[in-house]
Amino acid sequence: LKFRHEHGRLVAMLVRRVGVRHIELVEDAVQAAMLAAVETWPRAGKPDNESAWLHRAASNHLIGELRSRARRDRLLERNTAPEEHVDAELPGLGGDVSDDMLRMLFACCEPSMPAESQLVLALKTLSGFSTAEIAARLFTTEANVYKRLARARALLRELPFAPDELEQELSARLAGVQSIGYVMFSEGHLSSHAEHAIRRELCDEAIRLVTLLAEHRVTATPETFALLALMHLHAARLSARHGSGGLVLFEEQDRSLWDAREIELGLAWLARSASGDVLSRYHVEAGIAAEHCLAPSFAETRWDRIAESYALLDRIAPSPLAKLNRAIALAEARGPDAGLAALDGLEPPSWLAGSYLWSAVLADLHGRSGHLEAARRHRDVALATAPSPAIRDLLARRLDYTSASGG
Amino acid sequence: VRVIDVTSTKETDMPKFLCLQRTLPGAQDGARPSPAQMQQMYAKFEEWRSKFKDNLVDLGGRLGSGRVVTAQPPPDGPFVELKEIVGGYMIVSAESLDEAADIARGCPGLVRPGSGVEVIEIRSP
Repeated sequence: LKFRHEHGRLVAMLVRRVGVRHIELVEDAVQAAMLAAVETWPRAGKPDNESAWLHRAASNHLIGELRSRARRDRLLERNTAPEEHVDAELPGLGGDVSDDMLRMLFACCEPSMPAESQLVLALKTLSGFSTAEIAARLFTTEANVYKRLARARALLRELPFAPDELEQELSARLAGVQSIGYVMFSEGHLSSHAEHAIRRELCDEAIRLVTLLAEHRVTATPETFALLALMHLHAARLSARHGSGGLVLFEEQDRSLWDAREIELGLAWLARSASGDVLSRYHVEAGIAAEHCLAPSFAETRWDRIAESYALLDRIAPSPLAKLNRAIALAEARGPDAGLAALDGLEPPSWLAGSYLWSAVLADLHGRSGHLEAARRHRDVALATAPSPAIRDLLARRLDYTSASGG
Repeated sequence: VRVIDVTSTKETDMPKFLCLQRTLPGAQDGARPSPAQMQQMYAKFEEWRSKFKDNLVDLGGRLGSGRVVTAQPPPDGPFVELKEIVGGYMIVSAESLDEAADIARGCPGLVRPGSGVEVIEIRSP
């Protein structure tokens, strides 16, 4: 039993029963139930059904709180809200918990909220992270997370998600929910700062939530399967990125460290995603990840196919990163000049132009083409803009040949 | 359900100590542990409990509200509520007061800013 996951389940179940406007009371009740468990279980022994115990404790706490609120409102003759209906006993564990989780996830992905707020809300309610834990994972301040949560909850009170129209709402919001899952995963997968364990946790959390989508009748679409495939195929290679001496270059990764189970899962979801007539960006990205996972070595990777896939991705979801990745693949398939040619005339947006990614790739391609002056110039920018010492070390090592061969 | 046998000879041989958890001035009530932290608290408590299982005679519990019963009619209040001073109790067996204090100190969450423990020997007749 994992407290964090139990928190997500309980919040989802109780919010379903009392309404999303009471989300804070629900979270308080779940917190109180867990504290009670921590205090009671060591003394009385663990209950046979821990989930049921927590559910009962949280329900009781919540009912008590709702009742005392109703009483207080009556005493103050402040019956502004319609009479609060408090069941003597909330329904038990019956019903479909994954339905409740899905409802909660969709409620978090309120389209009128900024994406960051949706992400923060999902991490708080469904993943059971505290504001401090979320701040540490998203590289922001606790005050910022707190502010976002407060606004998000206020908005949820105004725009209650209609849980009875689940099916229509689910299909209408699915793309937004998938996108939050993707962002959550990327925060773990691409972030250059966090500790490995923390990043892994975010990736696992995203996989858990998207698996809910994949297993639910209404949200089990080919795009959902492709998204889940993409996550598993990336997760498979996560642990090989860290060696004893810090970050490991992709081309130097020990492929035997790749997680075969994750690859298997990813390929199975990818196979299931190959139906219907929509080719989403998730399909293309999962396809690229699969190419890497199936290649016996860096050199034996089918770079031409990967370059084609990035070109396709750039058509479906245009992005300078897709163009940059296509150039990298082309350089492997046909040499560095082909890579440079692909980038020729491309004006990167400022966020990319100022990032180490852009200059590191240019330094590498120029260096391999023998343009040492340009290589050095880009290398200096890359080293100066590296977001962490680990990445700086990695770049210094990778781009070292420019100075060596340039003498 | 675990039953602690208070009549076992091992425990009756050793002196027993009453441990009272006391709330100290400056208690922090604000920080609420996250689910992951609560899980950790639970794990630490279990670890402590199994380490000292032979010493833990009665894990006791939290104390609620109480009443003072006296022979004379009580003087005018206000009384300090019992729970404001003593939050919980437990009984441990140990060779010495020092050992009992060490056991209590090891209990996760007991000795921290705003909370301390008073360890008192229970004299056998």
